[in-house]
Amino acid sequence: MTLPPLGTRYAFFTGKGGVGKTSLSCATGLALAESGKRVLIVSTDPASNLDEVLGTQLSSTPTAILAAPGLFALNIDPEAAARAYKERMVGPYRGILPPAAIASMEEQFSGACTVEIAAFDEFAKLLGDPGATAGFDHAIFDTAPTGHTLRLLTLPSAWSGFIASSTGGASCLGPLAGLEKQKALYAATVAQLSDPAMTTLVLVSCPERSALREAERTRGELAELGVTNLRLALNGVFAATAPGDAIADALTARGREAVATMPPALETLPRSETPFLPKGTVGLEALRAMSAPQTVEPPYPEPLEPGAMPPGLDALVADLAEAGRGVIMTMGKGGVGKTTVAAAIAVSLARRGHRVTLSTTDPAAHVADAVDGDVPGLTVTRIDPEREVAAYRDEVLAKAGGGLDAAGRAMLEEDLRSPCTEEIAVFRAFARTVDDGKDRFVVLDTAPTGHTILLLDAAEAYHREVLRTQAEMPEAVRSLLPRLRDQTFTRTLIVTLAEATPVHEAERLQRDLARAGIAPFAWIINQSLLASGTADPVLARRGQYERPFIDRVVADLARRAVLIPWGRGHEDERVQRSSVSAIRASPRHR
Amino acid sequence: MKKLEVYDPAMCCSTGVCGPEVDPVLVAFAADLKWVADQGVTVRRYNLGQEPQAFAANPAVVKEMEAGMDRLPMIVVDDQIVSTGIHLSREQLARKLGLTTTDEPPRATGSCCSPKSRCC
Repeated sequence: MTLPPLGTRYAFFTGKGGVGKTSLSCATGLALAESGKRVLIVSTDPASNLDEVLGTQLSSTPTAILAAPGLFALNIDPEAAARAYKERMVGPYRGILPPAAIASMEEQFSGACTVEIAAFDEFAKLLGDPGATAGFDHAIFDTAPTGHTLRLLTLPSAWSGFIASSTGGASCLGPLAGLEKQKALYAATVAQLSDPAMTTLVLVSCPERSALREAERTRGELAELGVTNLRLALNGVFAATAPGDAIADALTARGREAVATMPPALETLPRSETPFLPKGTVGLEALRAMSAPQTVEPPYPEPLEPGAMPPGLDALVADLAEAGRGVIMTMGKGGVGKTTVAAAIAVSLARRGHRVTLSTTDPAAHVADAVDGDVPGLTVTRIDPEREVAAYRDEVLAKAGGGLDAAGRAMLEEDLRSPCTEEIAVFRAFARTVDDGKDRFVVLDTAPTGHTILLLDAAEAYHREVLRTQAEMPEAVRSLLPRLRDQTFTRTLIVTLAEATPVHEAERLQRDLARAGIAPFAWIINQSLLASGTADPVLARRGQYERPFIDRVVADLARRAVLIPWGRGHEDERVQRSSVSAIRASPRHR
Repeated sequence: MKKLEVYDPAMCCSTGVCGPEVDPVLVAFAADLKWVADQGVTVRRYNLGQEPQAFAANPAVVKEMEAGMDRLPMIVVDDQIVSTGIHLSREQLARKLGLTTTDEPPRATGSCCSPKSRCC
């Protein structure tokens, strides 16, 4: 059981949300600092909890972690970076251009792309400019959840290519044209990322099939981007101390099976493993335990207080079913099991005789794997960004590109390669899916929190755009936001785990949703070891740590709470091949 | 040499594909400007969202904007505002610049009219 060794100046920890990127990057940074190095830990995750893990209030400049000499950390808040960027671009023209002009400029800087790019801009400053981290031996990046990270990482190569090939002034870097000046910085960033002597990329995963598949997907995409210095870090490795406990045996078997069947290319990477810890990983002491040999405290099992637990999923589904139609969205930080919960709800509604569409916007799309067999009345669809972009591109070219000359067509195609295009294409698909809820149930397993918020933000921006331009707009798009806000049409379910970080993130999500005018219908606490009835000493101890979080959700946060014991739905991991192929063969969403 | 300047409203991109729905007029206009440039005219296109300094530097343009943001886009030929609130067609641009359109002006298919008129 070790931490990933780091020989390079820069390291990135990437992986599905909830696998322990922050914990592992902090534990690695702490170990390096304790060996006498000066280390900077950087988070670019919009849902970062670096402050919490390190027990220090952080800012956008390096802050010393007092209890760990040599260790520094900083937090890049992409939204704050976007606001600062917007002010930098618009501010100088206040009082010079008319207020209406200022307002329309600001509108252009409130889209999802601006947040994305402003964050990347901050990140490039650290990576592309060696002077920015000159005082440190190592800079460790605890990056955002995978989809988000990949977009950040993909941008420089897309942009380098784009900026180089762009002719004339009609470029489509969108509201970010001002960044073209930073070409040299971006080029340096790309060079640093793909230089194996400078940068190590740690794929953080855990012994679960879906997490390992996700790691493999990331590995492939990074390899395509020219990043070759990759390592695999398996976190949360568990083996039951003694056989006989059903939950512990299942968890052990699941982990062994997942590791034994991991994708071959992943298996060839240098690997390090860290154990499943009965305590969380918040605080320096807990971080040290990730690398130090763990002594498990003696088994305590105390009987649990009966009757003090929230009910299971059945009663919630019964109430959801009453509406007979509408949209159900499961939301939460990546890794909390939104997909499994969405699939369980969709299957249960279908078994009650309703027509149900289960759909995902999660780029990793585990949803197809999570449905247990073919259920009559249930259709599974997926919003695949690549296909949506291709469809949108074809549509635009057919509609507007037909009569253009070669030069005009080339210009249009160039604009269609912009980062905004994906955002728009996915948004349109999302709006169509929500529209289906008019006469059936639509269960949406949404993407991880940061992305979801961006999506809703995009919905808001488009909503305003729709009202302003009166352009030809599909009815589905026009009515999206009112529908998401209509509590009789859309039921938002917040999925969380009974642990510090997930509950904290879910609370933030609930606040963000409130700002968008959306009130969650219920909270679902998933994968509870406490409710599972396990008597394994490590798992039962971990279960005990859930108690205060469950109480807090019930008492302070949720209008209505549901508790799902660990193990329910995990048979989905062993989904039959037949059902997967049946889902794959199902017609794509129109 | 003649000079053509276009002051566009704040747009994500010059063809409009980044908006919620592609506008064939914008796509055709971008192609028409390319054609104008190929005829030897100096073409500059400014987007309010990206190049506000160009707007701020032109008092006549600021004055029009104060009258209403619907004056954008503005087309300026040799420092004279020749149109407001519309993306001119290739023929109209040619007339303002004293050019002749020899070949068939390429138009977007299916755009017999502006999308705002809803006849398409």
